[in-house]
Amino acid sequence: MENVIEIKHLNKSYGTHEVLKDIDFNVKKGEVVCIIGSSGSGKSTLLRCINLLEKPSGGMILYNEENILDEKHDINKYRTKLGMVFQQFNLFNNHNVLSNCMVGQMEVLGRSKKEAEEVAMKYLKYVGMDQYINAKPKQLSGGQKQRVAIARALSMEPDVMLFDEPTSALDPEMVGEVLKVMKELAETGITMLVVTHEMGFAREVSDRVVFMNQGVIAEEGTPEQIFNNPTGERTREFLKRTL
Amino acid sequence: MKKNRKYSIFTIILALSLFVGFGWNSSLISASNTGDKTTNNQEEDVFRVGMEAGYPPFNWTQMDKSNGAVPIDGTKEYAGGYDVEIAKIIAKSLGKKLVIVKTEWDGLVPALTSGKIDAIIAGMSPTKERKETIDFTDIYYKSNLIMVVKNGSKYENATSIKDFSGAKITAQLNTFHYNVIDQIKGVNKQIAMDNFTAMRVALQSGMIDGYVSERPEGVSASRANKDFVMVEFKDGFKTSEEDTAVSVGVAKNSPLTGKINEALAGVSEKDREKIMDDAITNQPGTGKTTILTIIKDNGPMFLRGAGMTLLISMTGTVLGFAIGLLVGLVRTIPTPSKRSKKVIKNIVNGLLAAYIEFFRGTPMIVQAMVIYYGSAIAFDIQMNRLAAAIFIVSINTGAYMSEIIRGGIVSVDKGQFEAAQAVGMNHFQTMKNVILPQVIRNILPATGNEFVINIKDTSVLNVISVTELFFQTKTVAGTNFNYFKSFFVACVLYFVMTFTVTRILRYIERKLDGPDNYIMMANQMQVEKIPSLEDK
Repeated sequence: MENVIEIKHLNKSYGTHEVLKDIDFNVKKGEVVCIIGSSGSGKSTLLRCINLLEKPSGGMILYNEENILDEKHDINKYRTKLGMVFQQFNLFNNHNVLSNCMVGQMEVLGRSKKEAEEVAMKYLKYVGMDQYINAKPKQLSGGQKQRVAIARALSMEPDVMLFDEPTSALDPEMVGEVLKVMKELAETGITMLVVTHEMGFAREVSDRVVFMNQGVIAEEGTPEQIFNNPTGERTREFLKRTL
Repeated sequence: MKKNRKYSIFTIILALSLFVGFGWNSSLISASNTGDKTTNNQEEDVFRVGMEAGYPPFNWTQMDKSNGAVPIDGTKEYAGGYDVEIAKIIAKSLGKKLVIVKTEWDGLVPALTSGKIDAIIAGMSPTKERKETIDFTDIYYKSNLIMVVKNGSKYENATSIKDFSGAKITAQLNTFHYNVIDQIKGVNKQIAMDNFTAMRVALQSGMIDGYVSERPEGVSASRANKDFVMVEFKDGFKTSEEDTAVSVGVAKNSPLTGKINEALAGVSEKDREKIMDDAITNQPGTGKTTILTIIKDNGPMFLRGAGMTLLISMTGTVLGFAIGLLVGLVRTIPTPSKRSKKVIKNIVNGLLAAYIEFFRGTPMIVQAMVIYYGSAIAFDIQMNRLAAAIFIVSINTGAYMSEIIRGGIVSVDKGQFEAAQAVGMNHFQTMKNVILPQVIRNILPATGNEFVINIKDTSVLNVISVTELFFQTKTVAGTNFNYFKSFFVACVLYFVMTFTVTRILRYIERKLDGPDNYIMMANQMQVEKIPSLEDK
């Protein structure tokens, strides 16, 4: 399988503090990759570098073999290929559920209102939020918000879905509904990159698990390798604490 | 005569204009100071006369054309009085149509030098200072100084200025009235007051024992309000002719001077007395005045003033909001990575910051003078008063709103920007679709505040003779001499306007917020079958 995303020698530092150190990392088409690791290990930063919410300090990010850090590259067009789901949902507060899923399609992709509405409804139904199309974000629970956020990202019909700790801000009883949607999504064959603390999800759903520690990729492999036979000392310690 | 004010405000305009860096040169000044230049700006067959229309019996405002009153330019009101009668005689002799331009006292000389009017006929004395800037014709009235005191006070029957030893006396600021108070031995001289309104209120409330004025004003005051008595002196103030005489002010070297003198020569001393007596008899507000009669007599005037106030403040707030939005938007553009673009952004930001600082840092009343009269004197631009008023309020509100909007943008959660960027929106798409709608909701209370402030602050525009509520009330009070009652009506009107506006905005806020809970309804909109993701 070809690589959708290829990351070479990626560095990111805030002042003298190095958050990412010389990361090499690839994501293949249709692959579901989970990134695990303790807080401050750089996993969220890596994800945010990929859609350029953080500007890398050095290295290369290739998307379908094009260097997206090149100044001439159209960042906004590139971002439409990546669907982002945030920890804090970040639904547009001024739009209702339906419109949250339509505004990007209409403004950025130039779709007609009718088309955008059809697409949005398709994905809202998919996440089970089609009954709430007129609700404002403040009227929804955390789990509902996150499902709408997933539908919003899917409405742009991206090639890759990025999840940045999508269940970390949820009450425990709402984690399940979001993970269920994500599992179903993983089965459709869409490329997914998930930063998560949900080890069960990572073990069950991912094709590959990446363990990050102190700004470097400490270990990566299939779920069986990482969870059953971790080789690194750090990985073992981390899993012992979290499982 | 009345009002030997120095050109304090005029000087401020000059200084500020230079400070702001107006392209100033002497040829421009002399151009706008010559008579023929000014007449070029106006229709040739019109004689434009400036007066306060609020200084009875010389000039006042009334609602109808009774007793030979003349319509005031740009309003539905009429001006009457001694000055108006004299103006009619002059206009007739010039063979031109008389147009009365209602102008604040401080605005008269600037209006003349900037060519907005052809002559000042407003009870103005030909003093040395004024003669440096404008020319005067021959005298058309001469008067004596008197003292206005409270009815029933111990000064009621005074005959000499010596009787006022120990009394608290004041007069109008920057007039010779104030200077002559020093002639009273042992007087308790009070701080000068800005206008007759203030002095009459002070006298009524007992803050002062009397104020120095001139006979016609004294007659009017005592006739209009029983609380006031005029004291005429046997042994009075020593005055010079240039103080007690009244003549017509015209532009320097105006060809009008000679013609007006010819016209004035045709009015005998006896005619003048007759005209003045008629004026004193005809002046409005001599009956019993209650709040109800004030509303009945001047209702339309108050309402037009309130309407004007609302128009200016509303248009000003809306335009100011637009300016603020634009400036706020530009100032929050993320710093570009290209060097050349960075420099442009810094320059633009610098200019915008200068705009905000300048208009926030100077009083609106001074800006009004600089912009309205300054533009006429320096650039020969004749601005429409209403347009000038809206312009001034708009750029002022814009300066405040820019900062409010910038603060609003900064306070929106960072996640909203990121989510918009993540779906591929650029800065302007992000602002338009996500950030600004939230900013506008969040700054609605602050905007309402600006609107309310504007309703109140438009009152300072009376300095450029905009006929807003405060200006109209001053005119009403100036003719009926009932300050408390007249301004009470204005007070109520202002409150009704601001209160209504606040309520409406609060309603809009609630409407925008919507309920906190979502009541799920049967979804009528989407009944058609939606393909599932797997079908894709």
